[in-house]
Amino acid sequence: MTGHANRPTQAAATLAAVALLVALPANAQVDLGTEEQQAAGKVVYDKYCGQCHGDTGDGNGYATPRVKPKPRDFTTGTYKFRTTPNGTLPTDDDLRRIIEIGAPYTSMPGWPNLTSAEIQNVIYYIKSFSSAFENPDRYAEPIEIPRPLESTEESVARGRVVYEEQGCAACHGEVGRGDGPSAPTLVNDKGDPIRAADLTQRWTYRGGPTKEDIYRTFSTGLNGTPMPSYADSLEVEDRQDLVSYVYSLGDGDDPNYGTLITAVYSEEPIDLQDGETLDALFESAPMTRFPLVGQITEPGRNFFPPVTSIEAQAVYNRDEIAFRVRWHDLRADTSGRNNPSLEVPTWDEDNGIGGDAADDTGDDFFGDAGGDDFFGDFGGEEAPAEDDFFGDSGDDFFGDGGDDFFGTAEAGAGGAEFSDAVALQFPASLAPEETPELKPYFLYGDAQNPVDLWFVNLTYGVADTFRGRGSDAIEPTEADVVEAVTSYDQGAWTVTYKRRRSSRAGVSFAEEQYTPVAFSVWDGFNRERGNKRALSSWFYVYTEPSVEQAVAGPVLRAALIVLVVELLVVFLVRRRARQKAAEEAASGGTLTATEAPAV
Amino acid sequence: MWGLNLPIVLALAAIGGVLAWRRAHTLVWLLYTGGALWAFFRFGFAVPIPQSVATIYLGITGLALVCYASSSRERLAETVQPIQRLILEPRYRLALAGLLVALPALAAYNAYVDLTMPLEAPGFGREIHPPPPTELTVHDETIDMATAENPYLHYKHDDPELYGKHVENGRRVYYENCFWCHGDGMGGDGMFAHGLNPVPSNFNDVGTLPALQSSFVHWRIAKGGPGMPAGGTPWDSAMPAWEKFLTTEEMWDVNLFIYDFNGFEPRALGQH
Ligand code: HEC
Ligand code: HEC
Ligand code: HEC
Repeated sequence: MTGHANRPTQAAATLAAVALLVALPANAQVDLGTEEQQAAGKVVYDKYCGQCHGDTGDGNGYATPRVKPKPRDFTTGTYKFRTTPNGTLPTDDDLRRIIEIGAPYTSMPGWPNLTSAEIQNVIYYIKSFSSAFENPDRYAEPIEIPRPLESTEESVARGRVVYEEQGCAACHGEVGRGDGPSAPTLVNDKGDPIRAADLTQRWTYRGGPTKEDIYRTFSTGLNGTPMPSYADSLEVEDRQDLVSYVYSLGDGDDPNYGTLITAVYSEEPIDLQDGETLDALFESAPMTRFPLVGQITEPGRNFFPPVTSIEAQAVYNRDEIAFRVRWHDLRADTSGRNNPSLEVPTWDEDNGIGGDAADDTGDDFFGDAGGDDFFGDFGGEEAPAEDDFFGDSGDDFFGDGGDDFFGTAEAGAGGAEFSDAVALQFPASLAPEETPELKPYFLYGDAQNPVDLWFVNLTYGVADTFRGRGSDAIEPTEADVVEAVTSYDQGAWTVTYKRRRSSRAGVSFAEEQYTPVAFSVWDGFNRERGNKRALSSWFYVYTEPSVEQAVAGPVLRAALIVLVVELLVVFLVRRRARQKAAEEAASGGTLTATEAPAV
Repeated sequence: MWGLNLPIVLALAAIGGVLAWRRAHTLVWLLYTGGALWAFFRFGFAVPIPQSVATIYLGITGLALVCYASSSRERLAETVQPIQRLILEPRYRLALAGLLVALPALAAYNAYVDLTMPLEAPGFGREIHPPPPTELTVHDETIDMATAENPYLHYKHDDPELYGKHVENGRRVYYENCFWCHGDGMGGDGMFAHGLNPVPSNFNDVGTLPALQSSFVHWRIAKGGPGMPAGGTPWDSAMPAWEKFLTTEEMWDVNLFIYDFNGFEPRALGQH
C-alpha cells in the first residue's frame, strides 16, 4: 500500500515541477498530501466509505447494487458537485463540502462526526484513486459565484424566459417537476438511468438548495450526468435571473412533513364529476405533506423509490368523505398492470428503471415470474401489453439493457409493463378504547387486525378496494363503494377519492375522530408493483367538528371556574378564622376582626 | 444525551439546588416540583413527547404531590399555613387581590392556547426494549435466551483472523440490508429514517447495544418489529424480521459487526 501511496506523490512532485517551469497557471492546486496523510485517510475510508465506494475506490461496494444514484467511482476523477468549470477536477473544499453535508435523498450521508483533519486525509486518499489528480491540466480556478439577488417579480419573469430559451424544460419540465419530454430517456456516463431533478422540491437537490448552489449547479454542470453547464451560453445577469426563476419554482425551503390530515366540514355535496366545485371545496382544506420511503421490510423490496413524498387533504359533508392526494412523477404510466398483491420476483428487488436486470439470468426471471405467478391473481384487468411483455419488452430487457428499454419507454403509451398506482390504507376497524394505541401492522395489516386499501390503478382510474391481512394475504372486497377521479398535469398526479362516511364492513368516519391512515405509491416507470412500492408509516386523519368551536365561551368558563373556586376558598378560610376568633373572644382573648373579601 | 434537552434539565436542577440550599418552605417545594415536572415534560426532551403522554404523567405526579402534602397532619398544616396567612392578614391584601385576578387570567390564557393550538396526531409511548421470550426458534433451531451467546464472539480472543472474517461478512450484510434505516454510520439516521415511526435504533448510543445481551439483539434481528409483544407497538415498527431474508450465520455475523463497528461488547451473560 505504501508503494501505491508513494507513487502519485512523487509523480505529482515531478509534474508540479515541470508545470512550474512552463508556468501553467493552475499548477498550485496539485496537492496530494503526504504518505502519512493518505495512510490516515485510508483508515477512515476503509471504515466509513469503502462499503459503498468500494475498497478500491471503483464505486463497487456492498451497497452498490441496491442504491441509486450509484456511489461515485473515484477511479474516473469525474465529480458532480464542483465550483470548478465543466470537465475539471473539484477543489478540496468541494469534496469537503459533500463529505460534511452529504447529498440529500441519496445514500451519500453527511459525516459530521469526522474531524476536519480526518476529512482532509480521506480527501487525499480519494484523490489517490485517480491519476487525473496528478495532472495539472485537469485543474482550473473555481468560478466566481456572485452574491444572490433578492428575487423580484421582474427577475423571475426574465429568468422564466432564460429557462425556456435554454431548454431546461426539455428535461426538468414546464413547471420544473422533472417531467420534461426527455426525462424518461436520461442516462449518466455509466449508462445508468438518471432523473432530472424535481426543481419544485428544493430540499431534494443533491448539490444543495441555496441560491448559490443553484447558480453553481447550472454554471459548472454536473459532470458525468446529462445536466449541462451553461457557463458559456449565459451572461452572469441571465444566470442570476435564472436562479430567481428556479428558486421561485420551489415549494418552500423544507418539506414541512406533517403527521395529520385535518378533514374540514362542508355543507356542499361532493361531486367528483364537477371538477371546479370540487377544487373549490378542497381549497378550504389544509394540505399536509407526508414522507414516503421504500418498502424494504417485506420481500419484494424497493430500495430506491423515486417518489419521496405525497400531499393529502380531506373534506367531508353529512354523508360522505373525500380525500385528495397529489405527488410528482416524471411520466404518467397508464398502460400497464398493477395491483397491491402483484408478485415481485427476488431478482427484481435490486433493479428499477433501465437494464440492470441484464446482470441476472433470464432463467430466473421466466422461472419464478413466468405465466401464472405474474398474471395469476390479476383478475380481469390484464393490460393490453401482456404479449409484448414476453415478446419484445422481455427480450430487450435482457438484451443489452438500457437503450432498448428506453426505446420502448419513449414510445410512451403501451411501452411500460407496470402502471402508476396509489393506495390509501385504513384499519378495518378502530382500536378498542382500552388499547387506543393498537393498529394493524402498517404493511398491509395482519391476521388479527386487517386493513382496507383504496387502490387506484391509474391505467383505469377507478378505485378498487382490497382487504389486507398481511403482505401475502390481500383480497378484493366489495363491501363499500369507493369512487375516484384522477388527473395527470405537468408531472403531478392528483387522485380524489370519495366514500360514504359510514361503512358496513370497514372504518366509519365519525366527527371529531382520529383515524389512522397510511399511503402507498407505485411508479410504473421504476417497475414498482405489489410490495415493491413507496410507502408511509401510519399517520392520522382528524374529522374536524362540523360546528365551528367558539373560543370565547370556553375561555370565559375556565376563568370563571377558577375565580369561583378562589372566592370559595377565601370565604371558607375567613369564615373559619372568624369562628375561631369568636370562640377565642368568648373564652376571653382578643383578635382583630377580619374584613370582607378584598374583591 | 438520552434524548434530553440538557440546558433545560440543568436549569431545573439548579433551581432545585438553590431551593435546597435556602431550605425552602414545603409549599415552595411543592410548587417547584409541580412546575419543574411540567417544564421537564414540555421542554426537557430533544424530541418532544406527545402531549397526551405528558398529560398522563403530569396527572399522576400531581396526584402524588397532593398525597405527599396531606400525608401527615403537620405537613398539611405547614403547607396550608402560608396560604391562610395570605388570605387573612391585611398586609397581604394587595397580593391576594392580585392573585385573585391573576389565576383566572392564567386559566383563561391556558384554555385559549389549548383551543387555538394546531392539532397534533395522537401519540403513544412504547417500550423500547420489551421483554424477550425465554426461548427463540430461528430456522428450526431453538436457543435458550438466558444462556445463548453470539457463537462467533469468542473468536475475538481465540482466533482473531476468523473473527475478522465473520465481522467482514457482517459488514456485507449490514450494507446490503440495514443502512437505509440504521444509517451508514449507525446513528439511526439512514436515508429512510425520517419516514419511520418509531425511528430506527441508534447503535452509536452507549445506552443501547452495550446494555443488551447478544441473544436479545439476535431475537430482535430475527423476528423484527412483528416479533415484539404489544408493549413495543409491533404494528408500527419497520424493523424487518430478518429470518425471512438471512441465514442464521448471517444474522449472528451482522450482530457481531454492529458491536465491533462501535467498539462495544454485548452485556455478559447473567449480568443484570
Ligand atoms: C451508503 C453508501 C455511501 C457511503 C457509506 C459513502 N458514500 Fe459517498 N457517495 C455515495 C453515493 C450514492 C454518491 C453519489 C451521490 C450522487 O451522485 O448524487 C456518493 C458520492 C460521493 C462523492 C462525490 C460527490 C461528487 O461531487 O460527485 C464523494 C467525494 C464521496 N461520496 C465521499 C465519501 C466519503 C469520503 C465517504 C466516507 C466518509 C463516503 N462517501 C461514504 C454513497 C456513499
Ligand atoms: C439534458 C437534460 C437537462 C437539461 C437540459 C437541464 N438539466 Fe438540470 N438536471 C438534469 C439532471 C439529469 C439532473 C440531476 C442530476 C443528478 O441528480 O445528479 C439535473 C439537476 C439540476 C438541478 C439540481 C441539482 C441538484 O443539486 O440536485 C438544477 C438546479 C438544475 N438541474 C437546473 C437546470 C437548469 C436551470 C437548466 C437550464 C438552464 C437545466 N437544469 C437543464 C438534466 C438536465
Ligand atoms: C426498514 C427499516 C429497517 C431496516 C432495513 C433495519 N431496521 Fe433494525 N430497526 C428498525 C426500527 C424502526 C427499529 C426500532 C423499532 C424496533 O425496536 O422495532 C429497529 C430496531 C433494531 C434493533 C433493536 C435495537 C434495540 O435497541 O432493541 C436491532 C438489533 C436492529 N434493528 C438491527 C437491525 C439489523 C442488523 C438490520 C439489518 C440486517 C436492521 N436492523 C435493518 C428499522 C430497520
